[in-house]
Amino acid sequence: MSLQVFRHWIPTVKDAFDRTLMVAKFFCSLHVTNTFLCTCALAMGPSMLPTLNLTGSLVLVERLSIRFGKMASGDVVLIRSPEEPRKVVIKRIVGVEGDAVGNEEATAVVPKGHIWIEGDNKHNSRDSRQFGPVPYGLLEGRVFWVMWPPEDFGSVGRKVENISLESSAGCQKT
Amino acid sequence: MSLQVFRHWIPTVKDAFDRTLMVAKFFCGLHVTNTFLCTCALAMGPSMLPTLNLTGSLVLVERLSIRFGKMASGEVVLIRSPEEPRKVVIKRIVGVEGDAVGNEEATAVVPKGHIWIEGDNKHNSRDSRQFGPVPYGLLEGRVFWVMWPPEDFGSVGRKVENNSLESSAGCQKT
Repeated sequence: MSLQVFRHWIPTVKDAFDRTLMVAKFFCSLHVTNTFLCTCALAMGPSMLPTLNLTGSLVLVERLSIRFGKMASGDVVLIRSPEEPRKVVIKRIVGVEGDAVGNEEATAVVPKGHIWIEGDNKHNSRDSRQFGPVPYGLLEGRVFWVMWPPEDFGSVGRKVENISLESSAGCQKT
Repeated sequence: MSLQVFRHWIPTVKDAFDRTLMVAKFFCGLHVTNTFLCTCALAMGPSMLPTLNLTGSLVLVERLSIRFGKMASGEVVLIRSPEEPRKVVIKRIVGVEGDAVGNEEATAVVPKGHIWIEGDNKHNSRDSRQFGPVPYGLLEGRVFWVMWPPEDFGSVGRKVENNSLESSAGCQKT
């Protein structure tokens, strides 16, 4: 009796298994795309104002530039934090290996294999000015497009936007 | 005439496409396994003697310990080089964040989010004694088993093997 019940369920189990396998294959390719081509990220926090929003910006991150070594000064990047390995942060590359970074008080040369990152919002950003140059191997991707909020929709360039708080329509509401 | 030739080839093209898709799906699954579970690595160089061979050891690397934060002092790890971001090296963790590392001449405390790595072969190894502590985010995996050469087949433990060059059968031929 129980064997017949079992046989009755076999097509359903097969069907469920095939659909699960199809979902698994989809997630496999999604993962490969996210790892090697392009992925999304939600950026929150004040350190990249005015380029990115305080309460959250949905950005597109491409992963090709890192592998082809085309990262240069001025790129906004997704990078694993050297202080908290589980956290990924977004900052801008201010200097690559060999560059001299700093101001009038202190200058440093970025060592081989490292980069110097700083947030666009110099007053509220924890970056290389606090924890020093970070190894290039911590880079995760290059932020090239902002999807959300709609007023920031557009590409992310190599220059920090100089937005006057009174006059520009694209500035952040403080 | 050409249209008939075209129709003649359709099943072959479909077959080729299906087989290619099967191979692609296999590599997708292999990639996910390599990234999240376990992968192989070929280790070459003198810096991890006597644990690993000079001319090449095939090792198994597991990727779970890093994600679950279970890396401790004494583990042999695969880590991206802080000096050459395209190179992955194998070293042993000698200190984690908060540990004091060093000898009688100089002692340092490993900062938050970093680890101190050294090669087992202290005389011929470029490691944290030269380039300082490295961020935990550069870790790629934990070496837990040696597959080749056969005389080294076995697990990789948390202690450096103390092999006397004259007496042990498991030592490296210099």
